Amino acid sequence: MSLDRSDELVAPTSSAASGAVADSAVADSAVAAVGRVSLWRRLARDRFALVGAVVAVAYALVALAAPLITRALGVDPYTYDLDALGPTGAPAGPLGGISAEHWFGVEPLTGRDLFAIVVMGSRTSLLVGLGATVVSMLVGTVLGLVAGYFGGWVDWVVARLVDVLIGLPALVFMIAVGAVAPEWFPRLLLLVLVIGLFGWSSIARVVRGQVMALRASGFVRASQALGASHAHVLFRQVLPNLASTVVVFATISIPGAIGSEAALSFLGVGVPPPTPSWGRSIGDAVTWFSVDPVYLLFPGLALFGVTLAFNAFGDGLRDALDPRGGGSNRRRRRGGAR
Amino acid sequence: MTLVKFLATRLATLVFVLLTVSFLTYALFVLLPADPAQLACGRPCTPERLETARAFMGLDRSVVEQWWEFVRGVFTGRTFGSAGASIDCPRPCLGYSFARNAPVTELIAGRFGVTASLAIGAAVLWLVVGVGAGAVAAVRRGTALDRGLMIGAITGVSAPSYLVGLLGILLFGFTLDMVPVSGYVPFAQSPVDWAWHLVLPWSVLALLSAAVYTRLTRSQMLEELGSPYVRTARAKGITERRVVTRHALRNAAIPVVTLFALDLGALLGGTVITERVFSMPGVGALLMEAVGATDVPLLVGVTVFTAAIVVIANLAVDVVYGVLDPRVRRGGRTR
Amino acid sequence: MNLAPRTTRRPARRVAVAGIAVAATLALTACNANSRPGAASSDEATAVQQGGELRILTASPAINWDPATSQNLAITTLGLVERRLTAWQTNADGTTEVVPDLATDTGTPSDDGASWTYTLKDGLKFEDGTPITSADVKYSVERSFAPELSGGLSYHKNLLEGADEYGGPYQGDELDSIETPDDKTIVFHLDSAYGDWPWIVSMPAFGAVPEAKDDIQTYTTQPVATGPYRVADTVEGTSVTLERNPEWDPATDDARTAGPDSVVFELSQDETVVAQRLIADSGTDASAFGATFVPPAQLAQVQQGPAKDRLVTSGPGALAYLAINTEADGLDDLDVRKAISLAVDKNAYRVASGGEIAGDFATTLVTPGIPGREEYSNGVNDVAPEGDVEQAEKLLDDAGWSGRELRLVVEDDAPTLAKAQAIQQGLERAGLKVKIVPQAEDVWTETVTQGDGSKYDLTLSSWQPDFPSANGNIQPLFHSSQVGDGGYNLARYSNPDADDLIDRATEETDVDAAASLWVEADQLILGDAPVVPLIYTKNSFLHGSKVENFRIPDFPAYPNYLQVSLAP
Repeated sequence: MSLDRSDELVAPTSSAASGAVADSAVADSAVAAVGRVSLWRRLARDRFALVGAVVAVAYALVALAAPLITRALGVDPYTYDLDALGPTGAPAGPLGGISAEHWFGVEPLTGRDLFAIVVMGSRTSLLVGLGATVVSMLVGTVLGLVAGYFGGWVDWVVARLVDVLIGLPALVFMIAVGAVAPEWFPRLLLLVLVIGLFGWSSIARVVRGQVMALRASGFVRASQALGASHAHVLFRQVLPNLASTVVVFATISIPGAIGSEAALSFLGVGVPPPTPSWGRSIGDAVTWFSVDPVYLLFPGLALFGVTLAFNAFGDGLRDALDPRGGGSNRRRRRGGAR
Repeated sequence: MTLVKFLATRLATLVFVLLTVSFLTYALFVLLPADPAQLACGRPCTPERLETARAFMGLDRSVVEQWWEFVRGVFTGRTFGSAGASIDCPRPCLGYSFARNAPVTELIAGRFGVTASLAIGAAVLWLVVGVGAGAVAAVRRGTALDRGLMIGAITGVSAPSYLVGLLGILLFGFTLDMVPVSGYVPFAQSPVDWAWHLVLPWSVLALLSAAVYTRLTRSQMLEELGSPYVRTARAKGITERRVVTRHALRNAAIPVVTLFALDLGALLGGTVITERVFSMPGVGALLMEAVGATDVPLLVGVTVFTAAIVVIANLAVDVVYGVLDPRVRRGGRTR
Repeated sequence: MNLAPRTTRRPARRVAVAGIAVAATLALTACNANSRPGAASSDEATAVQQGGELRILTASPAINWDPATSQNLAITTLGLVERRLTAWQTNADGTTEVVPDLATDTGTPSDDGASWTYTLKDGLKFEDGTPITSADVKYSVERSFAPELSGGLSYHKNLLEGADEYGGPYQGDELDSIETPDDKTIVFHLDSAYGDWPWIVSMPAFGAVPEAKDDIQTYTTQPVATGPYRVADTVEGTSVTLERNPEWDPATDDARTAGPDSVVFELSQDETVVAQRLIADSGTDASAFGATFVPPAQLAQVQQGPAKDRLVTSGPGALAYLAINTEADGLDDLDVRKAISLAVDKNAYRVASGGEIAGDFATTLVTPGIPGREEYSNGVNDVAPEGDVEQAEKLLDDAGWSGRELRLVVEDDAPTLAKAQAIQQGLERAGLKVKIVPQAEDVWTETVTQGDGSKYDLTLSSWQPDFPSANGNIQPLFHSSQVGDGGYNLARYSNPDADDLIDRATEETDVDAAASLWVEADQLILGDAPVVPLIYTKNSFLHGSKVENFRIPDFPAYPNYLQVSLAP
């Protein structure tokens, strides 16, 4: 989901022209044409992508081990330390209160440990990023499958769903859904669902295209002739052929979803506090920039770093899959919104 | 499928999408546990006055009725209230904001100039920068320049615009005091001030979006440069400059222009974050104001307007393609 | 004053009968509270520098000039353009009193106190040169009853005789309880005696609107001026420009100094950017002031830099408090509420609000500056600002507290969330589990002021009366009639003894006797711990280096727009 719909729109949409052109590049030719071995060889040659992959894995490890890390260091993102603040609520001491006790300094107005906030914030970012991507992929793949396989009115319905989705302002709906959802419903899950449900149109389009191609091919028709059920053909025969496409697509969707979470939190409608979130920290830090620039540095770098890592890796992956080597012209969902 | 039928189908889709979007927006905000009539109740509010306000605003009717009134109003205009002091909302009436005491259409019209200025300026800038960089990268394929440009493009794609925008304000606005940091001056009032206030948001929007165009242009160019006709042209001894500009770039431009049309359409619908960061009172800002005040008529009106622009941009691109390429009409793909 | 209708209404809704809850700031929407400075005249009125263009930077996206739908206080934005029967004078000693504006005095009550008579000054004119008559004032009040024009300050709608059945002048009906025996005289007949009526007629609806020029669709943006300025130009969402009204006669007006030749409101401004522009003080920003509060980060910045002498901080004004839903499961136990009161970390709350400059620690319900206020101790209200965690834990143990999670429902703007977290960490020190539930402003309002109150346990709010009286501090927040239905008794506190005391104090006409009754009510109510007083908030504003006479009275805690002038 993107906040400014420019992103949303441009991600392959109903238009025959834009994204579809590009998506089909990956979809139709790439995956099928490239063997796994040569894929890894290509990928291994792309140092930028490799660095991206390593960094992305490192982020994931930090997120997994975040409670251990903070506990080992004796910090947590919730405990106030008003002694670390000056009389105005700004961190006491230079560089945002960086000290042996607080490696990244402290948060203004609360004195909470910024290192713990950034480390624990990785969980929020990655959880929402990965969760929303999984939702998008699930919904998009299933709808793309049925649309492409059955065609006709099913296809029409899916196409109209996509049309409506593009027309809806995601941000407004996020806010409204957040308000309508009952208070006991976990906000993190809600965020995952909403971001995920606004992001499935491009994968659906690609899958649809591939399924249409496969349907026309011999083996699907042969199975049908042998009396295989639709479900069998769809999930046993067609779906496995789409696996690589979905994986690549998922990789390049992650930074967009992470960016959306951060943007929503920046606007104050993301994860509720005190659950740490980089986007919210950035939103707060920007107002403190002239007094305490260090506050912006760490959450900002963390968000930028993870987005860049996933983008670099996803990009390399796509290039490796596209044997023409021209790079894909597909427009990816970008991190954040404009 | 004939062209006429194709156009008719696309138009029907457009209408369907707009009806659905407006209905969904109504439905969602009616579910909201907040009462817009409370806004109009005054202080102190009494239950009786709340009822009066609710009836006047039409909130005592069902969602479907409210929505239908809205749809009708777009074509026929609407009148609220009693004969003595009726409020007119001339067509195309996108609703009437009781909180603002103004027709939504008028409010949007008042803000659209800001959004259009922001969008068009930024779009032109990123088109020039993006296509330029992409063309250079393609021609210099494999060089350090190419790699640098592509890494720059990925970096641009990865940076959150609000972060870059706010840092831009702090650096160029406050620290260096080079450009104004906020606000908008209408073009008619002073073209120079208008541009001067927009320089920073244009640059931020453009620099981040240009990355996408750089990548797209580069890959299209590479494809064209490798195509048979370019090889033929080269063989005929046409200069490389001419090959690049006259042939490769021209052909590569089609998908770029398509993307551009769609992007521009989306931007014209309002850019929530950019307008927020730069205090630009555009359509996106209006939408956020409506959300903040639970101003349902304003919200629905702006949502429909925005959706319309986005969908129309899509439609325009589709139609152009449909006219150019009959395969699209048959539901085929352009490639 | 509220610039935008929307903004306008929002603080309003927190005020049930006599108050305004002050919203701190909003992240997504403009802050209203900002834009409601009040104020009137002072003695230096005559000596003010004339000329220049004053700029007012505000977060609001629009200004609503319609007096019927505005919740502006007597003298802020609307006060520049529209006069009322009375105005507010802010004195050098910080006090605020009600003074005549269009009228020659603040009103003459009948013997029973239920009728008030006003006489208009001579030589008053609208901007088009037509004389202002008592019929124009009557019409202005009448139109505020029209359903098309609801949403303004509505105190008078509960006070004027026969107001319940009246639906505005647009069907040709008149409100008989307003009499205009001649062009200069206007008489209001009330249901019963009401001593604060002179304050009521300082509200926007008690100005003058010429019936011939009344178009309810355009009056919002094109009012007919009676004050020193008239609206010259409006750019939707961007700016509103005021120019001098040549028909305004300074000799008839003690409340306004009208120094600047023109006033420009810059709308839709981000409050952080506003503060930074004013700190930078470059170009036209030198003649500007911010109608928004200075956010905590810029407060810290200002206090370290040269802009410090351009920062103006009010005295302690609105009461910021934590309301405990006394009907919620377990919170009906006084000991649990006392434990909460003891566990709250007022110091963390104040730091989250911006530190010392954000306010003084609160111990009473009646706020400083209100006549008759007294400090007292009941063993809970005046413990150290950090709280008394041990004592709180002990009370919770003794009460057999269930340990359930408490829902702290708050508005979802960044400043409020920062404060909510301070409350949360304070209570958690005593083992109270707290979940913060952020809600959009309107949803929050609905949750805490409507329905059965089952959706929240705790909430944060702040409150500033619409006019300076202990009545405004206590009645709207603690009378049992103010529970639900839009009332601001957020603690859902209901105590017949307290109701009785409040009723007696409201009816008491002797000022001193009333004051002592209010103090008694203060102690009685706080003894039941329905709320935790946190701080008496101070509002800070910034202005440019050429701005003069920028002052904030004790009440209301906002700058007086009508007195501001510019250095040459």
